[in-house]
Amino acid sequence: MIELRNITLKYGEREILKNVSLTIKDNTIKAILGPSGVGKSTILKLMLGLIKPNGGQVFVDGTDITNMKETELYPIRRKMGMVFQGNALFDSMSISQNLGFFLRENLQLPEAEVQERVAEQIKFSGLEGYEDQLPENLSGGMRKRVAIGRALIFKPHMILFDEPTAGLDPVSSKRILNLISELQQSSNLGAVIVTHIIDDVFSIADHAAVLYKGEIIFDDETEKLHKSEHPFIRSILSDKILEL
Amino acid sequence: MPITVVRSLEKELILKTKDFLLTMQEFFIFSMRAFFTLPKIKRYWRDFLDQATICGTDSIPIVLVSAISIGSLLAIEVGNLLEEFGAKTMLGRSTSISVIRELGPLLMGLMLSARFGSRNGAELGAMKISEQIDALRAFGTDPVAKLVMPRLAAALIMFIPLTALSDFAGLQSAALLAEHYHRLDPGIFWNSVYPRLAPKDFVVGFLKAPVFAIIITLVSSYNGFIAKGGTAGVGRATIKGIVVSSGLVLIANFYVSKIVLENM
Repeated sequence: MIELRNITLKYGEREILKNVSLTIKDNTIKAILGPSGVGKSTILKLMLGLIKPNGGQVFVDGTDITNMKETELYPIRRKMGMVFQGNALFDSMSISQNLGFFLRENLQLPEAEVQERVAEQIKFSGLEGYEDQLPENLSGGMRKRVAIGRALIFKPHMILFDEPTAGLDPVSSKRILNLISELQQSSNLGAVIVTHIIDDVFSIADHAAVLYKGEIIFDDETEKLHKSEHPFIRSILSDKILEL
Repeated sequence: MPITVVRSLEKELILKTKDFLLTMQEFFIFSMRAFFTLPKIKRYWRDFLDQATICGTDSIPIVLVSAISIGSLLAIEVGNLLEEFGAKTMLGRSTSISVIRELGPLLMGLMLSARFGSRNGAELGAMKISEQIDALRAFGTDPVAKLVMPRLAAALIMFIPLTALSDFAGLQSAALLAEHYHRLDPGIFWNSVYPRLAPKDFVVGFLKAPVFAIIITLVSSYNGFIAKGGTAGVGRATIKGIVVSSGLVLIANFYVSKIVLENM
């Protein structure tokens, strides 16, 4: 379980997050919805301890990680997998090297087990035949699937997605959303999905939180979004995609 | 109105000083982390070998070109000057001191700052912009240990033989020019070099190699690590890395010479 308690975050004079509190339970998919540039991705980075808040606390499985040192955070981070918006694949490595990199790097598993897990992820992501390709030779959707595979290879409890369908064509978007849904059902994973596409939220998320002007204005079951009277939520429900 | 201007300037100055001090603090912590992770070299030996090839073997041509150029120029110019005083036989002595103590290591430092430093800044900057460095951290890998430490170790080790090579090429080219341009017998040239070179001449020259290695690697890598603002940001980080490390190389060159020569 991940919990943010009364988080405030400033970049210079600009206040990005104002007293934000959120809880992400295991085995559920929670979407964080909001316009571009509002601080949604920042929330994911706070959950991983990649950035420190100016105020408030971050808990992962009951452990306060807010002021932990970088080296103390590494084992905590390995409980979570992160899929970056731009995928953040290592561009000088092949697909199979990208998938196996952190297993070799952090777990020092026997090579046979690394190969086995890589093959498993290649199959799951539908990337058979592309093992030796560099990321630049793949389509956007394929690269996203590699990034998901890389995040899953650690067998994390929770997986964090930063705009998983941004920049993808409708078919690839659908495929990625199905993959996430399938993953949650088969592996019983928790997931946090940051997005500005409201259809994605209704497609897969059990719970949703809406971030607007640095504050959480909605945090409940996804279906209850329809009942919200907040003018911003009413407007996004009619516009579907937030381009603010 | 003037009071408002003064106050805004004062505020700006305070902000810039604060930014500078924060950057210095961050750079210090970054550098310490790079040094403290040196014992992990065995784990990252492949990265170390890659970097040793990049900053060592691959840098040989540029080091040779700069050393030959400076050795030849020194031989011509100093030889002309010495000829006026009838002291052409001292050409070996004066050229060797300049090459071994000062110009050989300095030029090599500047060339490596441009070559190795720019590569570090651009590569790490691109990794930062494309979130690859965040990905390393997110999956529990120390990016300083993985990306900076092998570069630092490689530079610390490879800059020393490069300095030796630079000295050798500089002196050989000076000897050739002395023979063919100034018509000076090679025996006379080398005779004025060897017996007169003191250990401190080599200490000054070779001490500069690790100092430059530390400056170039850490400054360029740090600038790559803090790159922001897309591809333009990578360009800015690379330029800043080269400019700052070149400036620091020049300053360090002066102080290393001063400290060693005053104390030996």
